Amino acid sequence: MSSLSGLRALRALGAPGHPLLLLCLLSMMRSSLADGNLTGSPFTSLRLREEMLAKYSNLSSVIHNISLTEHSSVPVEKNITLERPSVMELQCQFTTSGDLNLVNVTWKKGDELLENNYPVNITGNTFYTQYMFTIINSKQMGSYSCFFGEEKELRGTFNIKVPKVHGKNKPLITYVGDSTVLKCECQDCLPLNWTWYSSNGSVQVPIDVHTNDKYVINGSYANETRLKIKHLLEEDGRSYWCSAAFQLGESEEHIELVVLSFLVPLKPFLAIIAEVILLVVIILLCEVYTHKKKKDSDDGKEFEQIEQLKSDDSNGIENNAPRHRKNESANQ
Amino acid sequence: MAKITRAGPASPPDGGWGWMIVAGCFLVTICTRAVTRCISIFFVEFQTYFAQDYSQTAWIHSIADCMTMLCAPLGSVVSNHLSCQVGIMLGGLLASTGFILGSFATSLKHLYLTLGVLTGLGFALCYSPAIAMVGKYFSRRKALAYGIALSGSGIGTFILAPIVQLLIEQFSWRGALLILGGFVLNLCVCGALMRPITLKEDHSSSEKNHDHGTQKEDYSPLTKEWAQTSLCCSLQREYSFLLMSDFVVLAVSVLFMAYGCSPLFVYLVPYALSVGVSHQQAAFLMSILGVIDIIGNITFGWLTDRRFLKNYRYVCYLFAVGLDGLCYLCLPMLQSLPLLVPFSCTFGYFDGAYVTLIPVVTAEIVGTTSLSSALGVVYFLHAVPYLVSPPIAGWLVDTTGSYTAAFLLCGFSMIFSSVLLGFARFVKKVKRTQLRFLAKESDPKLQLWNNGSVAYSVARQLDQKDEGALAMAVSGCNLT
Repeated sequence: MSSLSGLRALRALGAPGHPLLLLCLLSMMRSSLADGNLTGSPFTSLRLREEMLAKYSNLSSVIHNISLTEHSSVPVEKNITLERPSVMELQCQFTTSGDLNLVNVTWKKGDELLENNYPVNITGNTFYTQYMFTIINSKQMGSYSCFFGEEKELRGTFNIKVPKVHGKNKPLITYVGDSTVLKCECQDCLPLNWTWYSSNGSVQVPIDVHTNDKYVINGSYANETRLKIKHLLEEDGRSYWCSAAFQLGESEEHIELVVLSFLVPLKPFLAIIAEVILLVVIILLCEVYTHKKKKDSDDGKEFEQIEQLKSDDSNGIENNAPRHRKNESANQ
Repeated sequence: MAKITRAGPASPPDGGWGWMIVAGCFLVTICTRAVTRCISIFFVEFQTYFAQDYSQTAWIHSIADCMTMLCAPLGSVVSNHLSCQVGIMLGGLLASTGFILGSFATSLKHLYLTLGVLTGLGFALCYSPAIAMVGKYFSRRKALAYGIALSGSGIGTFILAPIVQLLIEQFSWRGALLILGGFVLNLCVCGALMRPITLKEDHSSSEKNHDHGTQKEDYSPLTKEWAQTSLCCSLQREYSFLLMSDFVVLAVSVLFMAYGCSPLFVYLVPYALSVGVSHQQAAFLMSILGVIDIIGNITFGWLTDRRFLKNYRYVCYLFAVGLDGLCYLCLPMLQSLPLLVPFSCTFGYFDGAYVTLIPVVTAEIVGTTSLSSALGVVYFLHAVPYLVSPPIAGWLVDTTGSYTAAFLLCGFSMIFSSVLLGFARFVKKVKRTQLRFLAKESDPKLQLWNNGSVAYSVARQLDQKDEGALAMAVSGCNLT
């Protein structure tokens, strides 16, 4: 009866998605269901509640599960990214071959033990447990763990976080007098709005777009933001933070900006130019030297040839002389 | 008394200073081709900084590549009229200025002008003269020298790509462009290495021109002579090879070959991704292509210098082009990574192979005097197909929905190019045997000599030397 009145109240509201009202209704329904007769397994009544919630409040329903066995030594973790308020259903199952009575099932949020109103079902030698709750704001985000207590406690953790924002991993290098664009983007998510901070040390100062036109914030799509900084000075070289605000919290990313003076790349450039000039001068000097040497050797060859020809002429005379002498000797 | 000339004609040294020329050309290829390819690493930075999309920034690379090829004839004209050294140094200065001005750019249009036009022009002034110079210094080991010199583009891309990435990280794109401008200034060093050499061929041809000219002066280096005659006449003489039928055939085949070879480098990765290969494996295919290209350059060059292949360089060239075409035809059937890797290896090897042989084959057809101008024209003919072929292939892929049509077209283009060359050579051979047969029958003098090969050489002498020399020889023989 009380459940029907609850339903009528919901329909009468006609304002789906109103968080506070929902919480009231939830608590009402929970208590009414606890009093009433449970026909069937705990899960069906829970499913009914979940369906109603999803139908009447425009909240999406998110289901995740973790399986554990007695042999899992490493804690099993599952990362869940959540943007909008949702109805969460976290399921854990644990298979064991030992004594089923010794297993103690608990749920914790962080280190805080949660209320003992989660259903535990045993089928064969497997435990099934489920924890359902609604996430409306950032207070409900965090790590939820299911524990199966035995000799050693086995644990499965659901890490529920807002989507991560991506910037640039490496520092952004710019020059004095130049302008630059810092970009942050979030894949597959739509933040409510973006904010930029600059920090010098540990204090984060939000960037004021309106004082001067040095900073311009715009983004072509909803899932990205660009900060354009003009007329860079050396003191602009510090850390910048882009922050994406969701209904369930904020996500930040850090970008490092480095402003160099133009002398920094000029030094290697001048070194290379000096090397080029040196090499060119050496090579051209070598060429002139070899050319001169060749010319000298050619001149030398020419001189030799002239000498050769001269000596040929004189050899002719000399050759005649022995002949004459021979004739003379022959005659004598 | 014999007159000794200062710069005496020499035969190609095939070594000695020639290896310095090869090193210089290697550095020229690195500074031009490899740097042009590395410009695409800057695109991501330009896209973020100027807030433009990929197609706008990709124009920089296309303009630079196109200018390098289109202005190649200008490069050979400048180096023929001034000197090779001055031409390459001028090109180095221009290209370096383009990079330095580009580092101060405030819009993408500035980059089109500086990084695109100015740098492309500078590279054009360096590229074909440097390659022509290698041909002058080598004859026996020409293909090996070209292989080593042209492998610079592959090795340069391999080395420069991570260095450019590092420069961008340390100094952002402005500083990186400035430092790259300094690096490109090393083209001046290469220019200084290109010592001019006068060859017997140059000597005899310039003496012929000398006799035809009205002024009788001392024979000096080629350059002074060109400066005295009018520009128009000298250009006419320089480009006289354009009317040779052999060269026309080569030019047409180069057009088809350049049309066929460029789309693969653009479309291999998208094709591999479309058949289910992962991104890293597709990048790996491209690296294999690059590395095997280098190996093909050097080994094929060494191979075609061996005595048994030396006279068949032309055939090796058209064999390499034809095989590449066949690889293209097989490509649509290769649908998995284990099949694409051997394809990459084969295509890369023969791609490197025919790139090495282009200057060799051109030199065989036009001779070493006009090699610089001929290479300018050959690389000019590469420009329009390079520009036009990837967009046409892209259009085919978009309309037909698969890569088969594009690859088949490129394959047939390359096979047609090699078949055309083979056919032309066959026709020439047939004509030559016919002529030889006719020459043997008509000339009675030649019937004195029974040895056919001597008859052929005498017939050649009749063509080239003057009658007086032969008459002397004949009378000399009659005396004995």
